[in-house]
Amino acid sequence: MILKLLYTAVLFTAGYLFTHRALPWLFVRAGRALGLDMRPAPHWQKRIKRFKTFKRGYYSFLFITTLFVMSLFLELMVSNKPLYIRYDGRVAFPAVAEWTGKLLFFLEPRPMDRKSDFGQPGDDEVDYRLFAAAKKDPAIFDRQVSQREAEISDIRAQLAAAKKRGLSTAEERQDYRDLEEFIPEIEAEIGLLREAKGVFTSGRASILMPVYPYSPRENLLDMPGQPPHRPSFDHLIGTDDSGADVFAQLAYGFRTSMAFALMVSLSGYFIGIIVGAVMGYFGAWTDILLQRFTEIWASIPFLFMIIIVASIVQPTFFLLAGLLVVLQGWIGISYYIRGEFYREKAKDYVQAAVAMGASDWSVMMKHILPNSLVPLVTFSPFNIVATIGTLVSLDFLGFGLPIGSPSWGTLLSQGMKYLKYYPHLIVAPSLALAVTLFLIVQIGEAVREGFDPKVFSRLR
Amino acid sequence: MSGMTTYFIRRLLLIPVTFIAITFLVYSVLRVVPGGPIEQAQLQIKMAMMGEGGSAGLANEAAELQIPAAAMEELKKYYRLDKPIPVGYAHWLWGILRLDFGRSYVYSQPVLEVIMSKFHISLYFGLIGYFASWLVCVPLGVSKAVRHKSGYDTATSILVFIGYSIPGFVACLILMVLLGGGSYLDWFPLGGFRSENWAELSFFGKIFDQLHHTAIPVFGYLMGGFATMTMLMKNSLLDNLGADYVRTAFAKGLSERRVLFVHAMRNSLIPLTVGIGHALGLLFAGSFLIEKTCNIPGMGLLGYTSIIQRDYPVILGTMVFLVLIRLMGNIFSDAIWAMIDPRIRFGK
Repeated sequence: MILKLLYTAVLFTAGYLFTHRALPWLFVRAGRALGLDMRPAPHWQKRIKRFKTFKRGYYSFLFITTLFVMSLFLELMVSNKPLYIRYDGRVAFPAVAEWTGKLLFFLEPRPMDRKSDFGQPGDDEVDYRLFAAAKKDPAIFDRQVSQREAEISDIRAQLAAAKKRGLSTAEERQDYRDLEEFIPEIEAEIGLLREAKGVFTSGRASILMPVYPYSPRENLLDMPGQPPHRPSFDHLIGTDDSGADVFAQLAYGFRTSMAFALMVSLSGYFIGIIVGAVMGYFGAWTDILLQRFTEIWASIPFLFMIIIVASIVQPTFFLLAGLLVVLQGWIGISYYIRGEFYREKAKDYVQAAVAMGASDWSVMMKHILPNSLVPLVTFSPFNIVATIGTLVSLDFLGFGLPIGSPSWGTLLSQGMKYLKYYPHLIVAPSLALAVTLFLIVQIGEAVREGFDPKVFSRLR
Repeated sequence: MSGMTTYFIRRLLLIPVTFIAITFLVYSVLRVVPGGPIEQAQLQIKMAMMGEGGSAGLANEAAELQIPAAAMEELKKYYRLDKPIPVGYAHWLWGILRLDFGRSYVYSQPVLEVIMSKFHISLYFGLIGYFASWLVCVPLGVSKAVRHKSGYDTATSILVFIGYSIPGFVACLILMVLLGGGSYLDWFPLGGFRSENWAELSFFGKIFDQLHHTAIPVFGYLMGGFATMTMLMKNSLLDNLGADYVRTAFAKGLSERRVLFVHAMRNSLIPLTVGIGHALGLLFAGSFLIEKTCNIPGMGLLGYTSIIQRDYPVILGTMVFLVLIRLMGNIFSDAIWAMIDPRIRFGK
């Protein structure tokens, strides 16, 4: 228990160091190697410094980014597969393989570890948790052996009884032979178990499970009682109605939500900036036409539209993100950029750039855009909050990510079914959602105060 | 004609264009996707035959799966599915103009009747939620502005941020767990518009029961706009408190109370009224989630169930209402804005 806490603390420290020491260092080094001056411009340095003085927001920023970067390594921390397993000279890294398998999805998946290769009777995948339990307490094998011995003697008794009754029909003789064939099978299993015990007790087997050894999509049906289970020491927030661990789902759901929101906001920004820049820079008919179009597009009830589409085509992660971007994500930004470009294009530096023969594209992207970036940066945390909210709502309604992807909204909709008896199914995801969004809002406030300070003058 | 009038006339003229563009889009999406009206009708015929036929139905099961070609043709004609999409759409639009929205597959009633029977429920919750948010946000925003940068301001800001981080329907869910479930307290009913035995209750019983069911959803609506509205109120009041006319008012020797509530407040409320038209749209869009969560049989839940049941006439019907209300709402709020604030002049 204390060991686990320590382990978690070490993980967090490592995550923090990696995110906020190693990654920026690497980033700067890579930039310098490409010949860029990686110091931010003086006015940006000032803004960043101001941002850091807002402690609440700054610490939220450190925390959320660390958590997100760590969540990219979730397969190594929250999973039912071990980081490392060794059995009688056979070594495997199933969790690492799963993690790289997600990154390099185009490679052929690694063959699964068969039970019989790891001292467990059977042909399906190794029960790693059982393996870990046996490592702690090899007496498990004795129990399994005696259980099987009892089975054998039970079968023998049945056979003897059948013989006493006499085997008159062909059917009865067939049954007898079938039953008889079980005995060598079970005896082979006993042999395997005895051998496994030897391997375990002589220290030729070892395993290292992740800190939280449950996966989000694993149905823990061997737990006592009917799922959903209430929170317990093993399952910090209990399980849902298919017996899947809620904590693991929340953790993976965090990653999904954050990645989704980042992707949607970034691509929304991309399209919005281009459309807004074209509207604001060229003006005249281009502006009028595009604006009418945007107006019409913005009047589409977008939640309704997404639900209609999603009720027909089961959306994937990318399809849903694309839908959100196309229907909603770019509109607000394009209005903003359009206004900024209208204002900026009248200024002298733009005239100068045009006079020097800069192309339209270069004036738009190299000269005007950097001067309109501040509001984009200050909007982005709120944008992310809104996107996560939308994703949770869609998942809640059942029109979000495909079934089986861990998500907060799905948990909430399940919680609604068990409102009366299993409040943890609602309390846990809503708390996760509220805390995450709250921290992001704090970042947003600090960024706004730091980058775009507003001073109110008053008489008293 | 003044510039403003032409501006609003232009905006009004744009409504049909926008309306046609959006409905055409939705109509085409519904037409090209699988699971459309024909398949729906086939299913219904099958169900009906199963229902009346019983064992006889089972006997000619194979025959049932094939709808007679003639019946199929009739279906196609009824929904204009044999025509290309633009023609079908034109027929549908012509129907809408004559207020003929078609019949709902599920309710077997004209769509307009179905929508009208739900409309007032959404309106009831939406309006109460909207007024409640004014009642909460305006005083809170004002008191925050007056005590800007004080401990009270910081503490309520945290509250506002928490409100911003919890979507309205999640707030409803949490409240239902805490106050409406068997888990903790059992103070409020778990959703619904009224109790089943509402008609039998006494007059005061009716009122109590209605309010009882109203509390949690209205709280959800309130949470939806709580943060934005409070901060809008606070910032706009702060802006005004720094303005010259407020300084003048103080210089005249007016009391702080009078300056605040008579001079500054009136101007600070203007940005909030801009939200009126938007709120009209929100009465329905936001209600999607809250009506689903609290099981209120309003427009939002109707839209949701009609999508699940593939009840196309109802989907299109709710869409028509949603779009019209939103378009009108935008113009309405601009008009109100121009009316109460003479500085705002559109079309220049």
